[in-house]
Amino acid sequence: MSKDEYERVDVTVKRNTKDLFAFTKLVPERKKRIQNASAEPIRKDPMNKLAHQLHPIRQYLVIDKIIDNTKTTKTFKLIPDPDSETKQLAYFRPGQYLSLKVKIDDELITRPYSISSSPREALEGYYEITIKKEEDDGFLTPYIWKNWKIGTKIETSGPEGFFYYEPLRDSEKIVGLAGGSGITPFRSLAKSIANEDIEANLTILYGCSDEDDIVFHDELKTIEMENPEKVKLILILSCEEVSLEGCETGFITSEIIKKYTDPENSSFFICGPQIMYEFVEKELEALNLKPKQIRREAFGEIKNISEFPGFPKEVIDKAFTLKVHIGSVEKDVPAKATESVLIALERAELAPPSKCRSGECGFCRSHLLKGDIFVNPISDWRRDADKKFNYFHPCASYPLSDLEIVVPRD
Amino acid sequence: MSQILKNQEIQDTYDVIIIGAGNGGLIAGATLAKEGLKTIIIERHNLPGGFATSFVRGRFEFEASLHELADYGPPENKGGIRRLFEDKLDLEAEFARVPEAYRLVLTHPDKELDVSMPFGVEKYLDKMEDLVPGSRESVEKFFNVAKEIRSAFRYIASTHGNPDQGTLMKEYTNFLKTAAYSAEEVEIALGIPEKARKILNAYWAYLGLPTERINFTIFASMILVYIEKGAYIPKNRSHGYTTALDKKIKEMGGKILYNTTVNKILVEDGQVIGVETLNGDKIMSKHIISNASPTLAYNKLIYPQSEVPDIAYKEVNARIHGMSAFCVFLGLDASVEELGLDEYSYFIMEDMDTSAVYDSWLELQVPKGQATVVINNAVPDCSPPGTSLMYITTLFDPKAWENVKPEEYFKIKSKIANGLIKQFEEATGAPISDHIEEIEIASPETYARYTGTYNGIIYGYEPESWDSLVPRLMSMNDDIHIKGLRFAGGFGARCHGYSSSMSDGHTVALLTLQDIKKGGDSHE
Ligand SMILES: Cc1cc2nc3c(=O)[nH]c(=O)nc-3n(C[C@H](O)[C@H](O)[C@H](O)COP(=O)(O)OP(=O)(O)OC[C@H]3O[C@@H](n4cnc5c(N)ncnc54)[C@H](O)[C@@H]3O)c2cc1C
Repeated sequence: MSKDEYERVDVTVKRNTKDLFAFTKLVPERKKRIQNASAEPIRKDPMNKLAHQLHPIRQYLVIDKIIDNTKTTKTFKLIPDPDSETKQLAYFRPGQYLSLKVKIDDELITRPYSISSSPREALEGYYEITIKKEEDDGFLTPYIWKNWKIGTKIETSGPEGFFYYEPLRDSEKIVGLAGGSGITPFRSLAKSIANEDIEANLTILYGCSDEDDIVFHDELKTIEMENPEKVKLILILSCEEVSLEGCETGFITSEIIKKYTDPENSSFFICGPQIMYEFVEKELEALNLKPKQIRREAFGEIKNISEFPGFPKEVIDKAFTLKVHIGSVEKDVPAKATESVLIALERAELAPPSKCRSGECGFCRSHLLKGDIFVNPISDWRRDADKKFNYFHPCASYPLSDLEIVVPRD
Repeated sequence: MSQILKNQEIQDTYDVIIIGAGNGGLIAGATLAKEGLKTIIIERHNLPGGFATSFVRGRFEFEASLHELADYGPPENKGGIRRLFEDKLDLEAEFARVPEAYRLVLTHPDKELDVSMPFGVEKYLDKMEDLVPGSRESVEKFFNVAKEIRSAFRYIASTHGNPDQGTLMKEYTNFLKTAAYSAEEVEIALGIPEKARKILNAYWAYLGLPTERINFTIFASMILVYIEKGAYIPKNRSHGYTTALDKKIKEMGGKILYNTTVNKILVEDGQVIGVETLNGDKIMSKHIISNASPTLAYNKLIYPQSEVPDIAYKEVNARIHGMSAFCVFLGLDASVEELGLDEYSYFIMEDMDTSAVYDSWLELQVPKGQATVVINNAVPDCSPPGTSLMYITTLFDPKAWENVKPEEYFKIKSKIANGLIKQFEEATGAPISDHIEEIEIASPETYARYTGTYNGIIYGYEPESWDSLVPRLMSMNDDIHIKGLRFAGGFGARCHGYSSSMSDGHTVALLTLQDIKKGGDSHE
């Protein structure tokens, strides 16, 4: 250890002897203060309590009501399960989602669903989530349609995600670009604007493939009528025959966007199925917006990963083995190249915690010890050092070889 | 718990268990793993680092807490942390030097001041003399006393808190004579002119208590270490070096369990025997280092609770819990050049009345001061071309937030953040509010959420003189209330801060090693 070189000066704060004496009193003073203190345990911890209210790790809910919105869409009203520790629902910001944890056979899976009700309604005791049954959705929705009844218990996360209006960042002119079930966060936002919890204007451009598929049409129209200055709904229908009045036809093009909004001074929020993003993003390019004007909701797991640029075509039909370390368990697990590592883990009943399933939240962050993975740049939210040290997000990573991984337990 | 999770439970025995992978826990773990001990770190979050981490929003990776790492130093004059990282651990982590010490802006119309101060004691003294003619002698004295204090700390630490009184009297008189006083008392005694004191005291917010209350020795040694050795930041934010530590610890045979919360520290007849976790693990050891604070451990973790002696509660209740923080993280869509931001570190305050600023942290309002850093001015490529990365930090007493309801929470955060952004714009003229592409706002609730720290506190126990470094070091053995349980980190003997928490982790690991050698109960 280097020895310091310094000039010895002479300091007196009060008086020489008094200063020295003060030093000798420090330790006894500390002892005395400790001896004289209360021996009561501390029971209050208000900030951890607030954290728990705002961000509960789990919420135990029960289905209170099921509403059929359209042929393919249902809204589930969820209230706290009276038999559980969940007494109050966590408050949230419109646009946030709940990650639902569902057990199918023995397999535990998670799925994110935007909350379609308003934050104020959470204070009143309920959340609503709205689920559309997609044709190619082979797994969860058919199960939900068949099994979810009034009284079914549902386990969810706290409210999650960053797809919300932030007054310090966004313009108060909000444009919602919604496709299909992507209308759900905008219903929550429209309600909050209507009840003045949020001060902003919202124009929703809502693309649907069929008149029968429009979710919340009447309700949103009513909000629009009651708040003509603040909320506006424009439908863009891509079907051949349109009977509703005042709709646009086709898709959400830059022309339509320009017709109904003030692009230069607006913030755009996009939520919809994967293909809609691809289309809308191209249209937005023509408007020369700044990156800060466009916010995208994560759309969940990528279904057609092999079609993305950079995905090595030669592995498409391949299956690999994942050597998984989780807690005290070590196990070999089969995995397909075109399915995320998370899915393989869930199938093997070795799932890590997960929420967004889009690479964004980092909850499933795991350690890659051996092998190669593919990560799509659009869902690569890893920290720089994680890339360097081989940490990865299984929900957004696809095996390109046999892997050895260390996975956190849920 | 489901059958699946039950099957994953861990039952094992270790030489040492470390609770928490914050700065203190990671360094303790690295030190013990290097010594070949069977070591496990158990961390509730799925990341290493505690506060020392990062997060991604859009195109930006934000630093979660660090403004400036002290005691790293340049290669030719290594500080303790650089020696630890490079020489002892051979860590794969890169650090960048912060160019200038700080710019201090006082905004009160009658007390305006706007100065930029350099690193390097000589340069600092020159600049001070320019700004406050006639100040040189007294400020130089300040640095000389600070050097003596630093030597005294090293000496006391080397004696494990049992210094020889004669040696202290002979070699470290000035240390003895200032150890019981506040920064303000000693600075006035040294005859430092008022304006020079204002400039010198700019770093006060890093310790978070007013200059009338902060112990002089700890304050002076902090200023010395920054001015003399400069300040550094990791190139990939704090996550860069904490992940490098994670790798190193594992390479040396240590184990780290993430996403695993210790909910019980098991104690039998006054001796720790192991821990239980929320995942159902039961891990045994006679030696535990808790990176979670004594406040948390005694009040929430010790099991059974009857094993907590009264003196432990008394100790926690006697000490003054420090501040929590409020942070506005900004990803801007303009470069530092476009914004006219030249400095890395900005201290902005209404005036240098540190008590008034401290008092403003006791209420739910826009505080009267902030410490802000612009990362691009130390690491130019920390964000994409044409953008910049900065964050505004201020402190809060968690009590100010006690009655905030969840439904008010987001609006209150926005309002305070807005006030701080305006404060920054008024002081610097940089139009940042027009360029916010990403924003995240952390409050005392956020710190509680991510690390579980008691009441959101980020700044350990307040180092007033009676509970500053020296009495803490000299009471090290008295502060052990349960055999086998030691504490490391920001609530430890060296007070809070990155380098202090890490040095503390190192020291506590070595003490634990001694305990093990004495007790002869190593696992091997
Ligand atoms: C906004 C901000 C700015 C700061 N700026 C600076 C600066 O510029 N310079 C500086 O030197 N310092 C700064 N600090 C202070 C510094 O961050 C802290 O003093 C230091 O990081 C504390 O380290 P620690 O070892 O006490 O660990 P902590 O970071 O407190 O970590 C403790 C760890 O223990 C884990 N844990 C707790 N309980 C349990 C349990 N029951 N089971 C398992 N795990 C558990 C937590 O999850 C956490 O990871 C700043 C802090 C903040 C918040």
